[in-house]
Amino acid sequence: MKKTVQSIALLVIILTSIIACTKSDSPTVLPITAITVRDIPADTVVGLSAQGAPITKGVYTFYSLEKNVIVPNTDSASTKWDIAFMATRIIINGGSSGTGQGGAFVYTGLFDDLKTIPTDSVFKTDNAPTSYAITAGSGKGWYTYDGLNNLITPLAGRVLVIRTASGKYVKMEITSYYKGGATLPASASDMEKLTKQRYYSFRFAYQPNGTKTF
Amino acid sequence: MKKYFVILLVIPALLNAQQRFINDTLQMQGDSVVVTANRTERKLSNITVPVNIVNAKQIQQAGSLRLTDILKEQPGLNMTSGFGAGVQLQGLNPDYTIILINGEPLVGRTAGVLDLNRIALGNIKKIEIVKGPSSSLYGSEAMAGVINIITESVTNIPVQASIRYGTYETYDAGINNAIATQSVFYQGFYNYFSTNGFSIRPNSNSRVTTPIRRYTLNQQLKYNISNNTNIAVGIRVTDEKITNDISVSNGGTTINSLGKEHNTDQNGSLSLHHRFSNQLKTSFRTYYTEYNAKQDLITITGAPYYDLLNHVFKRLENQTDWNINKKVNLIFGAGAVWEGVKSSRYDSEQIRRTNTIQYAFTQIEWTPWDQFIINGGIRFDKNETFASAFSPKFSALYKINTKHKLKLSIGQGFKAPDFRQIYLDFTNAAAGGYSVFGTAQAQQVIGNLTRLGQIGTLYDSYYQLKTLKPESSIGVHLSWEYEPTVNSFVSVQLFRNDIQNLIQVQQVGAYITGAQIFSYLNIGRAFTQGIELEAKQKINTHINVSTGYQYLVTGDKDQIAMIKAGKVYTRDASGYSRLLSLSDYVGLPNNNTHKAQLKINYYAANGLFANFRILYRSNWAVNNTNGNDVFDQGDEFANGYISLHTSVGTAYKNGFSMQVGWDNITNYTDPLNLPNLPGSTFFATLKYQFIKK
Repeated sequence: MKKTVQSIALLVIILTSIIACTKSDSPTVLPITAITVRDIPADTVVGLSAQGAPITKGVYTFYSLEKNVIVPNTDSASTKWDIAFMATRIIINGGSSGTGQGGAFVYTGLFDDLKTIPTDSVFKTDNAPTSYAITAGSGKGWYTYDGLNNLITPLAGRVLVIRTASGKYVKMEITSYYKGGATLPASASDMEKLTKQRYYSFRFAYQPNGTKTF
Repeated sequence: MKKYFVILLVIPALLNAQQRFINDTLQMQGDSVVVTANRTERKLSNITVPVNIVNAKQIQQAGSLRLTDILKEQPGLNMTSGFGAGVQLQGLNPDYTIILINGEPLVGRTAGVLDLNRIALGNIKKIEIVKGPSSSLYGSEAMAGVINIITESVTNIPVQASIRYGTYETYDAGINNAIATQSVFYQGFYNYFSTNGFSIRPNSNSRVTTPIRRYTLNQQLKYNISNNTNIAVGIRVTDEKITNDISVSNGGTTINSLGKEHNTDQNGSLSLHHRFSNQLKTSFRTYYTEYNAKQDLITITGAPYYDLLNHVFKRLENQTDWNINKKVNLIFGAGAVWEGVKSSRYDSEQIRRTNTIQYAFTQIEWTPWDQFIINGGIRFDKNETFASAFSPKFSALYKINTKHKLKLSIGQGFKAPDFRQIYLDFTNAAAGGYSVFGTAQAQQVIGNLTRLGQIGTLYDSYYQLKTLKPESSIGVHLSWEYEPTVNSFVSVQLFRNDIQNLIQVQQVGAYITGAQIFSYLNIGRAFTQGIELEAKQKINTHINVSTGYQYLVTGDKDQIAMIKAGKVYTRDASGYSRLLSLSDYVGLPNNNTHKAQLKINYYAANGLFANFRILYRSNWAVNNTNGNDVFDQGDEFANGYISLHTSVGTAYKNGFSMQVGWDNITNYTDPLNLPNLPGSTFFATLKYQFIKK
């Protein structure tokens, strides 16, 4: 009797797992192509004060990764956006930043090598102002700051793994913080460094089916 | 390019009307006496370690004013340009080379760099450069090598007065004089140097050479109490005032900032030498030196800025030289150092931070047969505030025949932790409020801050903080010297330095505001290795040519391990990350893979001389621009460059001599990476020497 129960249980487990497998494997997943985005402004410098200090508006640029468009600031309280940029600060629509299901973490490795989000990954949510899903600060999150030359460079080999406002998954690599898609040379003028900064270029892959596989 | 060669050839030809024959000695590795390599007088031909000698004539004919000018023309040396001009020896930073004047160390380093512009060259007899760790004789800092500037002369020098004027209102005036009698020797030297400075980057507030007024005074007196005993006193003072009056234009607004900097470097020595017999002599030396640097300025934002550094170094030492027999020579000695630093960057500038060192050393040289010399030495330094150091060295010379020589040396060198690495207490309120604490301060200060609830996080590295160990290196030098004829000299040298316990700034925690907290840990491991070539050829009685080349490879061993483990990334042209391969790695920043120089000297019978010097440096990594922590091919490099220099001079019988020079003929500049290199500059020197009747 005991044995039969065990056998049935085992059978059920095997069957369900087969069914489960076939279920998730069956829809033929189209290969997800990476989308390249250039020069998204992120609170750019709009002028200089009398003392020569940069003036900005102090506003985020909201972005929908699902639709690959900039979302108007009037929709900031909605789930229409997934990620927003203001200077080096990045927020994700979730936690203290928004009403969405968003979360994120920074993965060390290559964009193309990240085929499946590891199961033990922990998605963090924003908890302003003490912590952010994408940690702020030089060398800690996505960028490094060179104080001598006053330049921001995205860290190489970092992938932002993002859960969107609606709970889908995105992997993203930031390639530049400067207009034109490349970090300025150290010899660039101070004025150029001021006015061309705060433009994000990145590539991302969006998985619409809710799985963690790209 | 061709044009300059023509000038070189034509000028001497025109001036050289009188073709009298003189027997000018070629500046070969002649058998001069070297004191630095063994801490005792030795013929150069019997020195077991790599040594270069720069003599007074070379210095004068190159038209060099400051130590920097002449060192940059020497093989294996490179000048750096942050915090003054420091010297990089075989790829190791300025921190790792000890600078001596007549065997006594100079102090007063800013961020590890001793500004070699402090040293005037007007009274220098020669400069000895010993390559390879020499801590077995000199203790801390002698890790890459030793540069010893020797002013002592034993001959009469009639009063010499010189005045020079050059580009950027650069004046230099000097008087030098030495009197030698049977019992008294006196030498006096006075120098005044001033320049209006220059800015090759007019709209920036940084990276300019500022106006300077600098005075140097040097007095040496030696008295022979008896045939075997003498007493010597020496003092040297350098005083410099630097003014900064800069206007910075930013967005149409001009802001002035005014800064004053006053640095004094003074040292005095008193020594007693006694010869017991031809085999045995001893000397007692006392030395005092003090470096004082004060900065007072109003910054761009209008905030006053004040910085003070005062470094005092006192030493008492005895050394005995004992020629046991013809084959065995022994030296031994012991000493004590008391050192103290006050700085506005420590928790209180009133408190002098001190360290005491007791040390003992010995060296034995054995000549089993004429062709073979073996030298072994050892030194122990016991330090009060950081771990002790033990520095052995072994070297050997084998004269294969009259033409070929082989040298091998293996030594351990060390550099004591800086006072700043132990006592710094610096918070930069202007730049985000980050703090740097020396290791002696870190635990206590951070502990106090924790109780006040100021600390947000402490990293693992915080718990690893402990008493710093000296940085140490093992250097191996293998060289082959070849003198096919009396007019030719060739040498090939292979070198490798392995450095461990490098002291590096490391983040140990963060304030609750997120601002970073740094301290120092013994964590780095690095190496430098390369080949150095030198060749000299006397073509005829009028012309000689010398050339040098250095190939250098450097690397951080931990970074190399990370790259091999596939943990370091870089970016390709599209901005996408990829793994960094070892072939992309360029090693430590600010190092040139290739460095070369070529000098052509011409001497005529009538005292006329001319020279033409070409210096080359290949490109070097300056900025880490591609988002990883290592320097690789994708980073920003300063361009390699060639600079050309020439000088022509003549001496008249009535005591007058003249010299003109043209430096950086091609007007090469790189404002960002070579802020201290002006474009083309010219100078003219007039010198008068009182003729002895």
